[in-house]
Amino acid sequence: MMPAHFIARTEINPLQAAIRFGWALIGPDLSGGSADAAPQQANSGWIAVLCLTVATALLLVVAGHAAGRRDYELAPLFFWCGIILLVVPITLRVAQPTLARGERLFLLFLLAEALFYCKVVYSPTGFIAFDEFLHGIAADDLITARRLFLSNPLLPIGPTYPGLEILAMAIVNLTGLPLFVAGTLLLIILKGTFIGALFLFFETISGSPRISAIACLTYMGCSTFVIFESMFSYESLGIVLCVLAFTVEAASRDLVGRPRLKALGLIALLLASLAVTHHLSAGFAAIYFGAMAALEALRRHGPLRTHARTVVGFTALLAITLPLLWVRAHGNTLTGYLGPSVETGFKTLIGKILGAPTPRSEHLGALTQPVGMRLTTLLAILLLSLGLATGFFRSLAMAAPGGARADWRPIQDILRRNWRDSRIVLLAFLAFGFPVSVAFRLTNAGWEIGNRMGTFVFIAVGLVVAVGIVHFWQGRARHGWRRIAPAGALTVIVLGGVTTSSLNPIHGRYRVAADQESIEPMGIETARWTKEWLGAGNRFTADRINRLLLAYYGRQDARIKIAEGIYSARIFEGEELGSDELYALAKSDIDFVLVDLRLSTAPPVLGFYFEPWQPQAETPISGAELLKFDEIRGVTRIYDNGWIMIYDMRGLHGNS
Amino acid sequence: MGIPSNRDLLVCCLWAGATVVVVAVTDNLVLRTALGAPMVFLVPGHAMLRALSVRTTSALEHLAYAVGASLATGVGGGFALNAAGFLTPSGWAVWFWAVTTVAALVAAHRRDAPDLPAWPALAKVRLWQGAIIALAVLVATGAYALAVRDEATYREFRYTEFWILPSADGESGRLIVGIRSAETQAERFDLEIIVDGQPLAVFRSLTIAPGDTWTGQIPVPVLAVRQRAEARLYRPADNRLYRSVSTLVPPF
Repeated sequence: MMPAHFIARTEINPLQAAIRFGWALIGPDLSGGSADAAPQQANSGWIAVLCLTVATALLLVVAGHAAGRRDYELAPLFFWCGIILLVVPITLRVAQPTLARGERLFLLFLLAEALFYCKVVYSPTGFIAFDEFLHGIAADDLITARRLFLSNPLLPIGPTYPGLEILAMAIVNLTGLPLFVAGTLLLIILKGTFIGALFLFFETISGSPRISAIACLTYMGCSTFVIFESMFSYESLGIVLCVLAFTVEAASRDLVGRPRLKALGLIALLLASLAVTHHLSAGFAAIYFGAMAALEALRRHGPLRTHARTVVGFTALLAITLPLLWVRAHGNTLTGYLGPSVETGFKTLIGKILGAPTPRSEHLGALTQPVGMRLTTLLAILLLSLGLATGFFRSLAMAAPGGARADWRPIQDILRRNWRDSRIVLLAFLAFGFPVSVAFRLTNAGWEIGNRMGTFVFIAVGLVVAVGIVHFWQGRARHGWRRIAPAGALTVIVLGGVTTSSLNPIHGRYRVAADQESIEPMGIETARWTKEWLGAGNRFTADRINRLLLAYYGRQDARIKIAEGIYSARIFEGEELGSDELYALAKSDIDFVLVDLRLSTAPPVLGFYFEPWQPQAETPISGAELLKFDEIRGVTRIYDNGWIMIYDMRGLHGNS
Repeated sequence: MGIPSNRDLLVCCLWAGATVVVVAVTDNLVLRTALGAPMVFLVPGHAMLRALSVRTTSALEHLAYAVGASLATGVGGGFALNAAGFLTPSGWAVWFWAVTTVAALVAAHRRDAPDLPAWPALAKVRLWQGAIIALAVLVATGAYALAVRDEATYREFRYTEFWILPSADGESGRLIVGIRSAETQAERFDLEIIVDGQPLAVFRSLTIAPGDTWTGQIPVPVLAVRQRAEARLYRPADNRLYRSVSTLVPPF
C-alpha cells in the first residue's frame, strides 16, 4: 500500500501546484530564513588573500586602460578579467551565510574603494567626466576668487549648491594639495562613509549584518554607483549626507526624550548641509521623511506612538522646508534646470506606452555596447526583478509585528495599518521605483531620469533583494546550490553595476562628442595654451567638450550662447555664416572661437556636438562648415595645430 | 566600555591648534595634509558629536556620524567665512579650531554625555598574512603609478602648434610667432612672415625637438590703417605649406 502523502501529491493538479509554487516564491514566509551566525572572529587569512586578489585585479584594470588607449584587442580581456577578479571573490565571500560582521564590513569597504580606484585610473591625474569639469571649474573659481555664488555659465544651477566646492576648498586651503588630489581624497572618504552609513542603515532596520551586507552589494549593482557617485560632483556628497541622515534617524528610533532630540540635532545639521549641497538628494530626503511621517501617522499600533510621530513629523518638516527655503532664498533656478528634462522624459515614456508617434529624440540609433556587457546588464536586471519578487512580501512581513510566520497574516497586519517599522514598509514600496527607472532608461529622453532615480531607488531595492536572498534563496543552507547560486546571482548584479555605469568603461581612443572619451592631451594642451598666451578670462565659444577644457584648463569664460537666444551651435553649422549669425557675432562680445576639425571625422557619439537639445546629428559636420571663419573679413586664425584652430573675433567687432 | 576621561577632547583641541599653527607657518605639503585632512573629515565632527552627546553603539557608527558632522561643519564654515570675507587658509584653520574648541568645551561640561563606543578587537594577523597585505598595497600603488606614467607619456595625436599674436605687452609694432612640437621626432621648418601680402621676414631651417617651443618677436611697421599679418610654416622635408596663421596689426 502506498503511503498517504504520496497519494495526496499525485492528486494535486499542475495548476494548483503552480499556484502553490508561485505563492511560496513570492509569499511572506520568513521561516526559511536563517538567523545570523553567532559572532565570530574575522578570518585574516581570507582577508589577506582577497586583498592580493583585488590588487592583482586592479593591475589588470590598469593594463586594460593602457591597452585600450593604444587600441589593442587585448584591452577588454585585461579589463574585464580585472573586474571579474575584483568582484567575484569578494561578493562570493560577503554573501556567505556565516561570516563575521567585521569581515563583511571590511570586504565591503575594500570592494567599494577598489571600484572607485577603477574609476580614478581611467584618468589618474585629472578630472575626466563632464560633470566633474563643471564642478572643478566652480571649485577653481571659488579657490581663486575666495567668494561664493560666482556665476557658472556652464552649470547655472551650480552656484546655488556649493557644498562640494566648499569642502574641496577647505581641503585645498588647509593641506595645500592640488584641486584634483583634494577632490579625490574627499571622494575616497565619501565612498567609505557611504558604504559604512548604508550598512548601518540596513543593519538597524533589518537587525541582520548579513542582510545588510547583501543589501550593500545589491546597491553596488546600481548604474550610478561605480562612476556617477564617484565623480567630483554634488550628488556624490549629497547621497552621503542623505544616507547619513536616514541612518541617524533609524538608529534613534527607539530613543525617547532628550537622547532622541540630540539625534534630531545631528539630523538637522545633516539636512541643512544637504539642502545647500544637492537638489535631488535633498528632494529624495524630503520624500523619504515626508512619506515616513505619513506612514507613522497611518500606523495604528506601536509603543511610543505619539512621541515617535512628533519627532518623525518634525524631521519631515525639516527635510521639506530647508531645501524649499534655500531655493526661495537663492531664486528658483531649479525649475528651469530640471523641468525640461523631466517633462520630455515623462512625455516620451507615456507616449511610448500609449503608442504615440516617436519623437525626434528617439530616432537616434541606440548607443551600442559589446554583446557581453549588454547580456550582463540584462541578466542583472532579471535577477534583480526576481529578487524583488521574492523579497517584497517578505520585507513587508519583516515589518509586521509578531515575528516570522509562514502564512499571509503579516500582510494582513500591514493592510490593517499595523506594522513595527515604517522604514521597512516605505522601502518595500519604494522598490517599485526600479521597474519605473528601467522603463525610463529604455528611452533616450528619459534615460537621464531613470539613471538618476536608480541612485535613490536602489536603497530600497538593496533591502528587498537582500531579504529575498536571505529568507528565500539561501535560507538556512550551508552547502549546495542554495549557498552558491544566490552568491553567484549577486556577482552578476554587481557586475551589472559596472556594465551599466558607462557606455565604454575602458579607456579607448578619441571619439567625437563622446564626453569623457573625447578628452585627451591635445585638447587639454590647447586649452592651456590659451591661458599661457592669451591670458585668462577671454570670452570663448566652442563645441561642448572644448568649452569644458577651455573653462577648466584655460580658465577662459566659455560661453554656450554668443548672444541672448543665440546658441553657439548656430555659428558652427552651415557652410556659410548667415547674415543673422554674422550680425549676432559682430554685435557680441565673443573674443575667440575654437574650432576642432576632429568633429568632422565622425558623427557625434552622443548625438550632438554642442548641446543635448540640438537635433540629433546622424552625419558628421563638414570641414567646410568648421573652416568657414577663414573667409570672414576681420576674423583671423591665430592658432593652428593641424586639428584645432582658434579664431580671433575681435577684429569683427572692432576691438582689435 | 567607554573612554573614562575627556582626553579625546583635549587631543581634538590640540590637533585643531596645531593645524592653525602649521597652516600659518609652513607650506610643507605632508605636514599640512597630515594635520589638515583630519580637520576636514573627522576632528570637528567628533567634538560636535560629543557636544551634542549623541549616543552611538559602535565604532563604525561613531566614525560615520563624526565624518558626517565634520562635513556639515565644513559646509557651514564656507558660508560663515564667506560672510566674514575670510575664505582663506587661515580662515579655514581658525574656523575648524573655533568649532572644535567650543564643541569640546561644551562636551567637557556635559554631565549626561554617553560613553564612547569601544573599538572592536582587531583580528590577529599572522606574519604571512601581513606580508600578503603589504604586497597587495604595493601592487595597487605600483599599478596606480603605472597608470599615471602611461597617461603622461602616451599621446594619441602628434602635432605641431603654430601661432601668431600681437605683442603681449601691448606694443603695437611687434608680433609674436610661436612653434611648439608635440611630434615623435625633431622636425625642420621654414617660417615666413607676410604683412598685407608683402614678405616681412623669413626664418630658415628651424629645428624643433619634441616638447620644445620656439618663439620670435618680429617688429612690424605700424601704419594708419589696420594690416593683416600672416605667418606661414613650411616643411622642407615634403616641400609644402604645413600651417598658416594670421592676425591683425592695429593702426597707430
